[in-house]
Order: sequence, then C-alpha cells, then structure tokens
Amino acid sequence: MSVAIIFGLLIALMITGMPISISLGLTVLSFLFTMTDVPIQSVALKLFTGIEKFEIMAIPFFILAGNFLTHGGVARRMISFASSLVGHWHGGLGLAGVMACALFAAVSGSSPATVVAIGAIILPAMVKQGFPRNFGAGIITTSGALGILIPPSICMVMYSIATNTSVGTLFMAGVVPGLLLAIVLGLVAWYRARKYNYPRLPKASWTERFRAFRESIWGLLLILVVMGGIYSGVFTPTEAAAMAAVYSFVVCMFIYKDLSFKDIPKVLLNSANMSAMLLYIITNAVLFSYLMTSENVPQMMAEWLIAMGLGPIAFLLVVNGLLLLAGNVMEPASIVLIMAPILFPVATKLGIDPVHFGILITVNMEVGMCHPPVGLNLYVASGITKMGITELTVAVWPWLLSMIVFLGLVTYWPALSLWLPRMLGMM
Amino acid sequence: MILTLLDRLEEWLITFLIGAATLIIFVAVVHRFGCSVPVPAIQDLLIPINMSWAQELCIYMFVWMAKFGAAYGVRTGIHVGVDVLINRLPGKTRNKFIIFGLLAGALFTGIVGTLGSNFVWHIAHTEQVSAELEIPIWMVYLAIPCGSYLMCFRFLQVTWSFICTGQLPHHDHSHVDGIEEETIPPDVNWLEMDDNLHPHDLKHKKLGNGSKEGGGK
Repeated sequence: MSVAIIFGLLIALMITGMPISISLGLTVLSFLFTMTDVPIQSVALKLFTGIEKFEIMAIPFFILAGNFLTHGGVARRMISFASSLVGHWHGGLGLAGVMACALFAAVSGSSPATVVAIGAIILPAMVKQGFPRNFGAGIITTSGALGILIPPSICMVMYSIATNTSVGTLFMAGVVPGLLLAIVLGLVAWYRARKYNYPRLPKASWTERFRAFRESIWGLLLILVVMGGIYSGVFTPTEAAAMAAVYSFVVCMFIYKDLSFKDIPKVLLNSANMSAMLLYIITNAVLFSYLMTSENVPQMMAEWLIAMGLGPIAFLLVVNGLLLLAGNVMEPASIVLIMAPILFPVATKLGIDPVHFGILITVNMEVGMCHPPVGLNLYVASGITKMGITELTVAVWPWLLSMIVFLGLVTYWPALSLWLPRMLGMM
Repeated sequence: MILTLLDRLEEWLITFLIGAATLIIFVAVVHRFGCSVPVPAIQDLLIPINMSWAQELCIYMFVWMAKFGAAYGVRTGIHVGVDVLINRLPGKTRNKFIIFGLLAGALFTGIVGTLGSNFVWHIAHTEQVSAELEIPIWMVYLAIPCGSYLMCFRFLQVTWSFICTGQLPHHDHSHVDGIEEETIPPDVNWLEMDDNLHPHDLKHKKLGNGSKEGGGK
C-alpha cells in the first residue's frame, strides 16, 4: 500500500515537470509528514550526511576534468587522429567519426557535448565530401553516447554510490563492452558505406599518423591516469578524479593552449554548476532511498518478484524495458539513483553479479539517450543538423538497432563485462 | 544593486570552492608521494606536515559548493525535470504547470531551510566538533539553511520573472567552446541521397557512383 502511495506521488509530481530532485524531496517530506512518525528532523541531517562521503566527491572532479577538455580544439585533434587511422577504409570520415566520438566522449564524459563537439566539425566536412546527411547524423547521435560506458564514467560512479559497488571494478568492467560497442557501431557504418559506395579519404602516411597521435595523446592519457592510478592502487577513485582534473588543466593550459587564464573561472563555474545539480539529485535520492528502506520497499519488491516466479532471464528483460522507458524521460543520473537501490536487492537475490548489473544499467542509459521519441542525443543532434526528430529517427535506426542487439548481448552474457576485472584480479 | 552583488558573491564562492578543493586534494596526494620518496631530506621536510585534514576539508567545501551551486543552478535553469508531457499542453495550461513546479521548488527548499536552521540551532548548543579539523560542527552544517533559503529565494525570483516576462532560464547541456559555427550546406538534394530512406527516381544518378574510391574532395 505504502509502496503504491510513494510511487504514485513521485510519478504524479514528476510529470508536472518540476525538477526531479524537488519531486523526490517533496515525496519524502509529504510521506513522512502524513503517514509515519519518523521525526522530520532526521530529514535535515540526512540532507547533509547524504553527500558527506569522499567517494561521491569523485563526481565534481570528473566533471571538472571533462570540462577542461571539452573544447573544440581537443575534438579537432581527436578527429584528425581518428581519420588518419581509419579514414581510408570504407566509410572514411564516418568511421573516423565513430572513433573520434569514442575518444572524445571518454575524456569529456558528456554525451550531448560530444555530439556537438564532434558533430559540428565532422558533419559539414562529411556533407561536403558527398555523404548523405543522415549517414553522418546517425553516426554522431549514437556514437556520442559511448562516453558513459568508456571509463571514467559519471554514470558508473552514481551506480557505485547507490549500491556500494567498487568504482574501480566497474570502470574496468566497462572497458571491453565500451570498445566492443564502438567496434559494432563502426562496423555498421563500414557496411553501409561499402554497400552505397561512399567516399573514402586518401590513406595517411605513418608520419601523418604519428603526428596526429602525438597531438591527441595528451588528452587520451587522461584515461590512463585514471585507470592506471586506480588499478595500481596509487590513488583512490576520488583522488584519481582530482588528479585527472589537475592533469586536464595542465594539458589544456600548457600543452594544447586552448584556454587562457581568464577562461579558467568560467570553466570552474560551469563545472560547479553541473556538479551541484548532480549532488543535489544525489542528496534527494539518498533521502528517497532512506524512505524506501525504512518502508522495506526493496525487500518487498524482491519477494514479490520472486514469488511471481520471475527468473533472472525474465527479470533482466523487465529491467531493460523499464530502464529504456525511463531513459526517454529522465537523464541517466536520476534514473540510476532512483532505480538502482530498488532493483539491486532483487538482482543480488537472483544471483546476478553487481558489477554486471551496473554495466547493464549503463548500457541501457546509453541506448536510452539515442532512442526516440525523446532521447537527449537526438535532440542535440537535431539542433546541429537542422533535421527533425522523425527524420533523425530514420537516420539512426541502423545504429540504434545494433545497439539494442548489443544490449541483449551485454544482458545475457555476463562474461563480456566480467572477464577483464576477473583477469586483473579485481573481483 | 544588492541583487547583483549577491549574484556575483554566489558565483565567486562556488568557483573558489571547486578550484580550491581540487588543489587541496592534489597537494595532499603529492605530499603522500613525497613522503614515500626515499630521499631523507625530502622526507624530513614533508613527514612532519599533517595532511590528514585534506579529505574532510574537501568534503565540507564540496557540500557548501553543492548547496550554493544548487541555488545558482536554479538561476541558470540546470535543474531539469520530466517536461515531455507538459510541453505538449497548450500554452496557458503549460504555464500553470511551470509555475506550480517552481513554487513547489520554493516550498521544498523553504521547508528544508527551516528544518535545517532548527537543526543547526540545536547542534550549536552542543560542543560537537568535526573529526579532523575540530571546527564547531554547526558552522559546517550552516550550509543547509543558508543554501536552502537562497535556493528558495532563487525559485521565487525565477517564478516572478517567468510571470513577468514568460521566460525561463535555460541551461545548454551541449555547449562546447572553440567550435566555429560551420553549418551544413543547405543545398543537399534529398532526392540524390542514396540510402533507400528517401524517395528517389530510378534513373537518378546516385551520389556515391560519381566519386572514385579515395577521391575525397
């Protein structure tokens, strides 16, 4: 009963369009106030202690690191590196677009920013070369989402906060699926380009390749700083994030020289704005999951689902459906923070590995960003390509379809995500 | 005048907090490395310095940044909700929902601010101090009432300007610096697109056929 009231209230508040964090908070307040005798004072304390954890502080640091490198100059370097490597194959610039998106998304950490940064540079070039506009738009919309799977990923940090799973292990587990998805998207582009005989670039010489590599390596080393630091145990994940922020500051100021000193306050302010928004959602989500646990909701859900005879296979199918649906109306951070604490206990009861479950959720968020009617990437891409959502939907379908197949693969083949962390002895 | 000052103060505060917190953690990590360098001179210099407070200070700075940044976020329109449904409504009904949402935000932050100030008031009468820095804990927790009341004020401000001008602050999640405005040439002929997604006549020359392999431009 109380479950129905809580969720009914939450959904009712959410569809009025108020900020998700506010609807979470108001749900908790009104439920506690009217239905229980939990002292409402404890809410104030929870609002503070909710984010008083050093692990959570990785989020502002990662955002700062990403914002320093989210710059057109970095995007251009990634594109020239990618096109010198794969530009002479079928698909030319399109294939380079997939690779550049994967690289840029990994360091910038933001999908919409990737779509704009890579898209704004590569799409006009593609149209000039004679690619149809849909081809480029489809590639950029879907490949832009790669960033939340390739570490460092804020979505994974959110999952680890919500479920107490190790961030380092999650990051490692994301590597193989992330690369595989990039390859799958590239293959679709390659296949379609070959079929329709789209233009290719002249093959780059090894000197050109080396020059492009040397230019882009500084940005890419960020991934190495984070992953290497965490894996070798030199840094905790939060420290690694802080080091990444300092590293990307040094790279953009002294190596790439994309920014001048007077731009720094603006970058800091933007990052602070973004991270404060996420931290505010976290605070309220912590409040919400506190209400959930005090009402025993996750346990009840688990028992109910198991009593219905739902095995792991059916459960994962339901989870995928639910997340894809939610992915259309909310942004990844809120979904993970609301859904993970509820679904996680059921998953562990059914014997699903926490790390595998985390990767599955992340891939779901990725697909959710680019599938119609209202994926965020679709909207952003529609802005830069000046194409309508319907048109774009038609343009993305080959890639979207392959992403959904890939999602099935990740869902029912745990070894794909668990192999690398197991090999490295992280779990 | 006072409002502009408040705006600037808010911006400076959160900018300073995120920057300083990053530096502090960086220094703490470097210090830890320095201590393990097997050079006696460096070790003698560094080991007496106690950096154990860095984590705690970083957390408190970020909590303050989060509370005031959330208030700043209301002003920049970064707090988003599920607006798919209300965007389909006719203008007037939609406006009512938007105002309702903004006022709900003001209500929530107002309640939290009041709860928080109550809480801070009680804790200020105890001798509680933080674990490492040993500063009175109520000073740390002061972020809740201050931040929440400021946020409440911001929500009311945005509501007021929405009623007056009909405009909401809007945050662009996809803004990237350093990109020249290059737009896609508008003269692409849809009928020439050869991806079987657009109608084209059978005799039409296909785009890909014209260009030789590797012939880019």
